[in-house]
Amino acid sequence: MKFLKSHLLEKVPMKIDTSKLESELTRLGLEVDSIEKLKNKSDVLFDLDLTPNRGDCFSVLGIARELAAVSNKKINKESNGLIASKLSPNSKVKISAKAACPRYCFIEIYNLDNTKKLPSFIKERLEAGGINSINPVVDILNYVMLDLGQPMHAFDLNKIGKQINVRFAKSKEKIHLLDESSKVLSDKCLVISDEKEPLAFAGIMGGIKSSVSATTDSVFIESAFFAPNIIRGKARNFNIQTDSSQRFERGVDYNLQSLALVKATNLIKEYLSGTYSKIMTVEIKSNLPCQKLIDLDLNHLNKKLGFEIKLTKLKKYFEALEFKIESNKKNSLKIKIPSHRFDIEIEEDLVEEIARLEGYDNIPSIDLKTSSSTFRSSNYTQTLNLKKYIANQGFQEVINYSFVNKKSLKELDISEELIELKNPLNENLEVMRTSLFPGLLKTLKSNLNRGENFMKIFEEGKVFKKTFSAREQNMLSGLIFDQDKKKNWSSKKQFSFFDLKKFIVDLLNHLSAKEIVFQQSKNAFLHPNISIDVIKNKQIIGSFGRIHPKINKSIGLKKNFFYYEFLTDALNFKNKYKISESSKYPSVQRDLSFVIPGETQFDNLDKLARKLAGPNLVNLKLFDLYESSEIKNQGSSFAFNFTWQSKSKTLEDKDIDVLVNSIVKGFKEKFNATLRS
Amino acid sequence: MDLAKLKAGLKKDFISSSSSEDLQKLKVKYLGKKGKITNLSKQLGKLDIKQRPKAGKKINELKLLFEELNQSVSQKIEKKELETAISKEQIDVSLPVDSNYIGGLHPITRTIEKICSYFSAKGYLIEDGPEIESEYYNFDALNIPQDHPARDMHDTFYLDSGKLLRTHTSPVQIHAIEKHKVPLKILCPGKVYRSDSDPTHTPMFHQVEGLLIDENVNFGNLKKELIDFLNYFFEKNLQVRFRPSYFPFTEPSAEVDIMDKKGWLEIMGCGMVHPNVLEMSGIDSKKYSGFAFGLGIERMAKLDFSINDMRVLFENDLKAISGK
Repeated sequence: MKFLKSHLLEKVPMKIDTSKLESELTRLGLEVDSIEKLKNKSDVLFDLDLTPNRGDCFSVLGIARELAAVSNKKINKESNGLIASKLSPNSKVKISAKAACPRYCFIEIYNLDNTKKLPSFIKERLEAGGINSINPVVDILNYVMLDLGQPMHAFDLNKIGKQINVRFAKSKEKIHLLDESSKVLSDKCLVISDEKEPLAFAGIMGGIKSSVSATTDSVFIESAFFAPNIIRGKARNFNIQTDSSQRFERGVDYNLQSLALVKATNLIKEYLSGTYSKIMTVEIKSNLPCQKLIDLDLNHLNKKLGFEIKLTKLKKYFEALEFKIESNKKNSLKIKIPSHRFDIEIEEDLVEEIARLEGYDNIPSIDLKTSSSTFRSSNYTQTLNLKKYIANQGFQEVINYSFVNKKSLKELDISEELIELKNPLNENLEVMRTSLFPGLLKTLKSNLNRGENFMKIFEEGKVFKKTFSAREQNMLSGLIFDQDKKKNWSSKKQFSFFDLKKFIVDLLNHLSAKEIVFQQSKNAFLHPNISIDVIKNKQIIGSFGRIHPKINKSIGLKKNFFYYEFLTDALNFKNKYKISESSKYPSVQRDLSFVIPGETQFDNLDKLARKLAGPNLVNLKLFDLYESSEIKNQGSSFAFNFTWQSKSKTLEDKDIDVLVNSIVKGFKEKFNATLRS
Repeated sequence: MDLAKLKAGLKKDFISSSSSEDLQKLKVKYLGKKGKITNLSKQLGKLDIKQRPKAGKKINELKLLFEELNQSVSQKIEKKELETAISKEQIDVSLPVDSNYIGGLHPITRTIEKICSYFSAKGYLIEDGPEIESEYYNFDALNIPQDHPARDMHDTFYLDSGKLLRTHTSPVQIHAIEKHKVPLKILCPGKVYRSDSDPTHTPMFHQVEGLLIDENVNFGNLKKELIDFLNYFFEKNLQVRFRPSYFPFTEPSAEVDIMDKKGWLEIMGCGMVHPNVLEMSGIDSKKYSGFAFGLGIERMAKLDFSINDMRVLFENDLKAISGK
């Protein structure tokens, strides 16, 4: 809402400097978006960012009321004097849509000159208000709208029929609007029509056929009250925002129609001459908003604000707002709300009005006394700790948009159960991500272009699929990319699968994960032979490994790189950290090196060794490994280091010998293994 | 045996010792099985019984002298030997290590943590909520009916079957009331979505929502809670301003501004929970009252980390977001 300072102060005669005016409006809740000093004039242009509830301030009058209330001033009352006319208008108005339009006032003006020049103050104020000048009649109506808040519409009297009807449009009825667009209406759209066709999209925009031009000499002026819910959403659905629709959808004072028509007629008579008919009003009283009476419990008021406001002060505030105190019983006031404050509906609204006039900043800050504190850790804390751990392992956290390009998913063979946006901003943001992988890839590529050649990145966030239980679940994923050819002299090795595995195993240990099983992965992003699924309770809770070569190929990155993903919530193992006392008895170590013919997975050896080593085994290390080629045709050699320790006694050599013999025997039987000397 | 001579020899021997091995040899020479002092002790038995105590005392003095000399010389020698060993161990410690990249949390996460740790210590439970919402939770239950102009403030992304991406974290208020009943005290950080993109808006951004419902909660409490928080966050005593605003789910509603170098800066929205919201969730609004507040994480991060363009937060330039 834009207006000139001089226009406002014409309504509230007072002296106030611009910065004081700004702070007064702000403290009333009328946010000042900008202030512009006009060149060559001593005037100032204010632009307010109004909240949707304050439709009453969509006029200079409305803002003037607020300023007057806060500065203890009176506003200049509009004169509603119009020399009465005896002429009856030619047109007849019928309201078919009674609830949508409870009041319709109109006047006819004849023999006006629509080529005359309007005085500069009207032009300047309209321009300041951001309203284009069209022709004198329309400009006057727009000026009154800016001034009082009532949108009006003028039809060329010679271009409309005699029987005007306010009705809902027929389904698929067409209208050709002032902006030269054609709209196909639905039966929820309100129109002003004559016998033949719709003349205007009620409250939003007039039709082009009946519009007023320079040659127009007689007009039919409408000043109506349209129910806000009829206008709401229409402008947006049809993509036409007008000064009129903006006001009607927020609400217009239901007692303003006639007053606005009087003001407009007076201005037309003064500047464009002409004669006029009587003002006609068609109204359905029972459909008009009713006069609101709201009870204010003073205890409730004080309890809500946290301090006591004296009754005399309250009375002063209500008077300033033009709210009438109808009755004043002990601790309870009955307040009559003026018709321009259609936003006031309940007791809490009155509490806000009092707080506003008192000034939010003058309300004392009070320490809170509450019994509802909860001191326990949540999923949030758990996830944060997880993220901190990963960041401390050298991973940089990134955050990508939750929506991605459909094509980028297709490239990764993801096309099922996607959740699509109905109104995406652009094609890069058209479908919800099903995985964090595409976003991490995008981050990887953009940083590759910035010259990074070693990256460890991760992201934690929601992924979305129709098949997920709540359509969304929390994921944690990371990427490692290493194509650094000029590595630091001290760390020549490239990142390998086993570096990744170490990271995952350490992470799981850090989280006190128990009963976790690793098995070969089926994850579509990963190399089928160089990847692992992490299983808990027979469910895959995560995967890690080298990227599948086909993905390397499709994204054009030749280098190997690595990926891991976990269901974030599955990593909440809820195992309490416990301190266990270490054994007082000494530990015993033995080294055993086995040569094993043929191909064997380490996992099988490890399982058997642990089984045979008994319950006192505290550590088992593979400290050396020779692949088959190195021990000519003999197979592979695995060197184990066993550590035993009992919590209840000193282990004797002979106890250990028994275990060692059983391991050697077991390895011989199962793997045909021989002991190396 | 001339004791004086022995004593002089002992002293001389220690002076000429220069290594641990030398000292070891001296120990053998004097105190070994055939050592000089040992020999003297052996001869003690042959002496006249009257002379024995005196001679014994002299031998003891010799032993003490040996110990004394041994201790002081060995200390000197050990020190010298350590110095020699150290001087042999040398590397060029100025050589560079591989630390051109170290990880960290995203500025958004850091900001959320800074906020959550404060409120969590004050007894707020940190909650999570869905990002795909129904019209009911995102709008209706928050007193924003269909076609309400307030819905225009939210440029909503719609999905199929009447679902949408939440436009604010406020729906968590309703989920929390349903889940925990009252009284309650929760905080919810999370992603929200609006169909908007320019230097100050991104289609996805983050908010933190706070909600407190109890008996006898008032506007003064809300002010205190938020002023304390803002002073904590910005680590100074700020000039804070509350001004009337409008949110359909709070009444009275307020915007909170802080005084920045360039003037007042809008920082968060808040208000007393609207009785309609309480009643819709089955809470007696005569008995219970509460306050809610919401703030944009990006704006807080922007101030805390001096970021100019909000979009930098989601471009994931690793150098930029890691602060390197």
